[in-house]
Amino acid sequence: MSHGGGGHAAELYPENQILIVGVVLSIVGMYIAQFIPQLAMLVGGLLTVAATVAGANTTRRVAAYGLGTGVPSIGMLSLGMGTVAALSGVLLANGMVTQYGFSNVVLYLIPIFVAVIAIVLGFIVGKLTVKPIGMKIPIMVESMTKLALMGALSIMGFCVAFAGGFLPNVVIPGAVNNGIIGLAFIAAGMAILHPFNACLGPNESHKRTLLLAVACGLLTWFIFSVASLDVVSIIVSAVLWAIVYRLFVKQSLNDACDVLYIPELPKKEM
Amino acid sequence: MDAVSLILPLAEITVAGAIINASVHFIPVGGAPAAMATSTGVGTGTTQLAAGAGFTGLMAAAVMAAQKGINLMNPAHLAIILLSGAVGSMIMLGLTMLIGQLIYVFGVGVVPAADKCDKDPFTGDYQKSYITPGTTGHAIPTVCFISGLIGAALGGIGGGLAYIAFKQLGFDSGIAGIVAIGFFFMNAVLASYNIGGTIEGFHDPKFKKIPNGIIASFVASLVAGAIITGMSLGI
Repeated sequence: MSHGGGGHAAELYPENQILIVGVVLSIVGMYIAQFIPQLAMLVGGLLTVAATVAGANTTRRVAAYGLGTGVPSIGMLSLGMGTVAALSGVLLANGMVTQYGFSNVVLYLIPIFVAVIAIVLGFIVGKLTVKPIGMKIPIMVESMTKLALMGALSIMGFCVAFAGGFLPNVVIPGAVNNGIIGLAFIAAGMAILHPFNACLGPNESHKRTLLLAVACGLLTWFIFSVASLDVVSIIVSAVLWAIVYRLFVKQSLNDACDVLYIPELPKKEM
Repeated sequence: MDAVSLILPLAEITVAGAIINASVHFIPVGGAPAAMATSTGVGTGTTQLAAGAGFTGLMAAAVMAAQKGINLMNPAHLAIILLSGAVGSMIMLGLTMLIGQLIYVFGVGVVPAADKCDKDPFTGDYQKSYITPGTTGHAIPTVCFISGLIGAALGGIGGGLAYIAFKQLGFDSGIAGIVAIGFFFMNAVLASYNIGGTIEGFHDPKFKKIPNGIIASFVASLVAGAIITGMSLGI
């Protein structure tokens, strides 16, 4: 499979498989963070990494067509839609309970609400990029939908892991009013847009991009662990990051045509 | 909450999205070629430039909105807040372009020249003869600089208007700020897809595509605005 932009290497795992794993794991992570707040950062943070990896994988697929504006633009778009979807999921559920007398059970569906709103918003914005704007990428609408979903779940996942729950009275003071959501915006954004932005090119391989995606996700988790001063999470995330990043560097050296540890260019013709 | 206090912010959000989208079309974005001084404009992507200017405008507007005695429903106060956003944004982008220009002229050693017009409409200088063959202009000529300032002012007004609308809906400053940032990025990226990479300013033929971008942002902002207005019921 080869396209105009950077070219597409064969896929190690199908995109939808990674996507489903990302969605399921990050939503499970939010529920674990809600019901066992002691493990919020350790388990919730770890499982949210799956969402950023799935987002990075979708970014890889759509950006390989050549966006014309750089890979970061689509990552930022995904996080922009994700922020709106994440906050509105929380507050809409809150409004249904406080204003319209729904039972409290609705509050426990917040992660589902966030996902549904993100899918709707992503689908509409994806349609708009095709119809009046005229992007010529065949998978634009589905990719936008997936990216909005992954952006929303990453932001929500890290905020919930930090605050220790997704109920409005926990997550709004615990992660939104104190500005942690800004960190979630840019750190999760980096984890989504950076892997393909760094690895793209004619020799791009899915394995290398995925390894970097996992490393970036773990690094984001590490940043949140430091922010929440959770010692166990700091150690676990740092160790996991070091292992994955080492694998990534090894893979890069393997894939390279040649690695020279000398500071000057070789004299003879290669 | 009565209907008017919901519909007014919704209209403001929709207009703000359209203004943000229009603002991006004015900003001289050169992308990767400009980073090597082989294209006119500032050497970075649309999103980053627009976001940098827009956020400064947003913060300038937010600071003004937080002053004592400011009433968000008073049109005169509204105008002051928007003006503060526009000025903050213009200072930010003006400095970016000025420092970039210094680097292009004294560091790289190129002559500022616009590719898309024969004669600079403001200074009347001929441009074509200063362009190195094989490149599409250099640095930030006067017409691009002025276009950029107009774009920054519009961006600041758009970001400020969105922030005010969120505050009028009753959000805390924290939520209003982060939603405004997400909203700003959404519209700025839609505009950058409409431009398709690089643009020199209002004299660029690509500028004629601006209605498509505005329509797209109008619809996207309307949808986002409806969701955000629904959110405000849950505070």
